[in-house]
Amino acid sequence: MSLIQTLIRTGPAEKLQLLQKRSSYYKEVSNLSSQAQASPALLGVGILGAGPVTQAIHLPSLARLGNILEVRHIMDVDPAVAEAVAGRVGANFSTSMEELLADPAVDIVAICSPHQFHAAQVIASCRAGKKAVLCEKPFAMSGEEAAGISAVSAETGVPIIVGAMHTFDPGWLAAEDAWGDLPEQVHTVRSSIVLPPNPRFEDFATEIVGRVPLPGSDTSDPKVIKAMLTGGVMGLAIHDLPLVRRFTPDFESVEVLHAEIVRPFGYVISLRAGSVTIELRAAMNATWEPSWEFEAIGNDAALRIDFTPSYVHAGSATARILSEGRTTVLGPFGHNGYEGEWRKLAELASGTGQPPSAETLIHDLEFALAIADAAAGRIDANPVDAGSAASSPADQEVNA
Amino acid sequence: MTTQLSVYADPQAEAAGAVSAVVASLPLSFGPAPDGPAVSAPDVTAIAGHAGWTGRSADALRNGAKGVVVSGPVAEDPAELIAVADAAGSVVVLDQQWAGNTALAPAAGNVHSVIDTALQDAVLLDSVAVAAPGTDPVHLLTDQLAVLVQCGITVRNVRMVQQNGNGYTVAGVLAGGVPVALQGILTSALPATASLTILTSAGRADVVLPDPAAAWPAKVRAVTTEGATTLPTLYESSHRTSWSRAHSHISSGIPANDLTQFTSVMSLLSQLTS
Repeated sequence: MSLIQTLIRTGPAEKLQLLQKRSSYYKEVSNLSSQAQASPALLGVGILGAGPVTQAIHLPSLARLGNILEVRHIMDVDPAVAEAVAGRVGANFSTSMEELLADPAVDIVAICSPHQFHAAQVIASCRAGKKAVLCEKPFAMSGEEAAGISAVSAETGVPIIVGAMHTFDPGWLAAEDAWGDLPEQVHTVRSSIVLPPNPRFEDFATEIVGRVPLPGSDTSDPKVIKAMLTGGVMGLAIHDLPLVRRFTPDFESVEVLHAEIVRPFGYVISLRAGSVTIELRAAMNATWEPSWEFEAIGNDAALRIDFTPSYVHAGSATARILSEGRTTVLGPFGHNGYEGEWRKLAELASGTGQPPSAETLIHDLEFALAIADAAAGRIDANPVDAGSAASSPADQEVNA
Repeated sequence: MTTQLSVYADPQAEAAGAVSAVVASLPLSFGPAPDGPAVSAPDVTAIAGHAGWTGRSADALRNGAKGVVVSGPVAEDPAELIAVADAAGSVVVLDQQWAGNTALAPAAGNVHSVIDTALQDAVLLDSVAVAAPGTDPVHLLTDQLAVLVQCGITVRNVRMVQQNGNGYTVAGVLAGGVPVALQGILTSALPATASLTILTSAGRADVVLPDPAAAWPAKVRAVTTEGATTLPTLYESSHRTSWSRAHSHISSGIPANDLTQFTSVMSLLSQLTS
C-alpha cells in the first residue's frame, strides 16, 4: 500500500504519527545516503565553509565530476546556510569542523572558511586521517604557519593542494609542457586583471544563499588603502603569483618599487625580482567584459595566456607561445582550473598523481606575503603611491 | 589638381622611413628630386631621426626645402628648429611610428571621441610599448609619450619606477589622481606595437597602434554598458600618413604643430630623466 493510500484510510492522529515516522525515515535515509552511495568508485567530499565560493565555485565544479566525487558533508557556522547548501546536494550538514572531520564518509576535505582559520583546519584535516586536503588560498597567513602545515602533511602523508586555480588550468599546464627553455630567458612578467564585481558571475554560476553585503569604506584613508593592497595581493593577484614565480628564480629577492590602488578596487604594483620586471594590474569595475591576461616575455620568445573568468565554467585558458615568428596556440580545453583542482584531488585521494611539493607551496605563500607586506608598506613610506583621488566607497572585494 | 613635390632622402633617411616605398604609394603628390640636393633644393627632404636631426632639418630648410619629414626622431630639443621653420615659413613633419598613425590624426574624430569619453570616467590608464632588443629605451619612451600627447592626454607627476636593458616602467597620474602606468618592453617575440588602455568605471577603451613596417591597421575598441564597438580600420602605415600630411601642409600653407607637440614630449621626458 502506498503512503497516500494509507493516509487516506487513517484518522488524524495516525496520520500525524505516520508522517513523523516517515519524516524520520527520510532523514535517516538522507543521512545514510552518502554511505549508501559510497561505492569504491566515488570519493566523499566534505567542505568547511559554505559561503559564495563553495556555492558558486566548488559545488558546480563537483557537479561536473559526479562520476568520481560526491559531496557528503557541508559545515558552516551559520546552521541555516549549512543546511540549505547541504540540502542542494543531499549531504549531511553540521556547524562544527570536528563533526565533519569525524564523518567517515568524508575522504577529501575542502577548506573554504575565512583565511584566519585555514592553517588550523588544514592541520586538523591531516590529523583526522583524510585522504587529501584542498585549502582555498592563502593556505596560511605566515611562513611559520605554512611550515607547520608542511610538517604535519609530511608526518601524516596527507597530500595538500592550495586553491590557486590557474596552476590547475589545462591551458597553463599545456603551456608548461610546451614552453621549453622560455623561463630561462624571461625578463618581464605582466598580470592584468579586469573583472566585474563577484556577484555578477556568482549569479551565473548558482543561486547564492547567505550573501553578506560588504560595507563601504573611505578609499582616501591610508589604512583602507593598505588593506586594499594587501587584500588585492592575497585575494586576487595570488592566483597568478605562483605563475609569476615560475619565471622568477630569484623570487626571494623580490622588491616592490611602486604600489597604488585602483578605484573602486584594484591595484597597480611594480616589482623586481633579480633581473625580472614584474607588473601587476587589476581593476574590479562594473564592466560586463572580463579580461584576465598573463604574459611572460623574453628577448625572442613570449607566453601569453588568456584566462576565463572565475566562477563560471567557461572552459580553460588559451595559451599562446610566440617565438621566431610562430605562434603556438594551446587550448581552450573543456574545463577550468577549479575543476582541474578537483580532478587532481581525486587522483591524490586515490593514491595516484603527485602533489605539489611542500617547498613549492611554502615559497608561493612567502612570495605572496612578501609582496603584500611590501606593497602596503609603501603607503607608509611614500604616500604619493596612494594617489590623490577623492574618496569613494570601496564596495568591491577581491575575487576568489 | 595635386602639385607634385620633389623629394630627396639620403641613405640613412631612406632606411629610417622606407621613403622610396612610401613616395611610390603617393605618385601624384611626390616624385624623386631629379638632380639631387647638390644641384637644386628638393621641395621636401627626408631626415633620419637619429641624434642631430634638429640640426640636419634646420640645414635642409636653410637650403631651401619647403619642408622636411623626420623619421623616428629621438629625444632632442627642437627649439632652434622651431625658430628656423617659423622664419622660413616651412613645414616640419615628424614621422613617429605610433603617434603618426592615421588613427590618431586630428581628423580621426571618432577615435579621439572614444579616448576623450573614456578619460572622463577613467580609473586606470595602462600603456605598453614594445620594441626590438637593442632599441634605446629612451627612444622607446619618447615614442610612447608622443602617443599620449597626440591623444591629448595630460599626465602629471611622472616618475621612473624602474629601468634596465629590457625596458622601463613609468608611473604618473591623470587629473583627479587616476593612476597611469607606462611600460616599455624590449623583445622580438611580440609585434612592435604601442597599446593604450583606459579602464573606466564600467568599461574600457583600447587603442593598439601597429609597427609602421607594414600597413597594419590600428585597432580601436570601446566597451561601455551598451556593448562593445570596434572602429573602422584604416590600412595605412604611419610613414605614408606623415608624408600625406607633409604634402597637405605645404600645399595649404597651414603650419604643422608637430614640433610644438614634441616640445611637450620633451617636457615629460625631462621630468623623468632629470
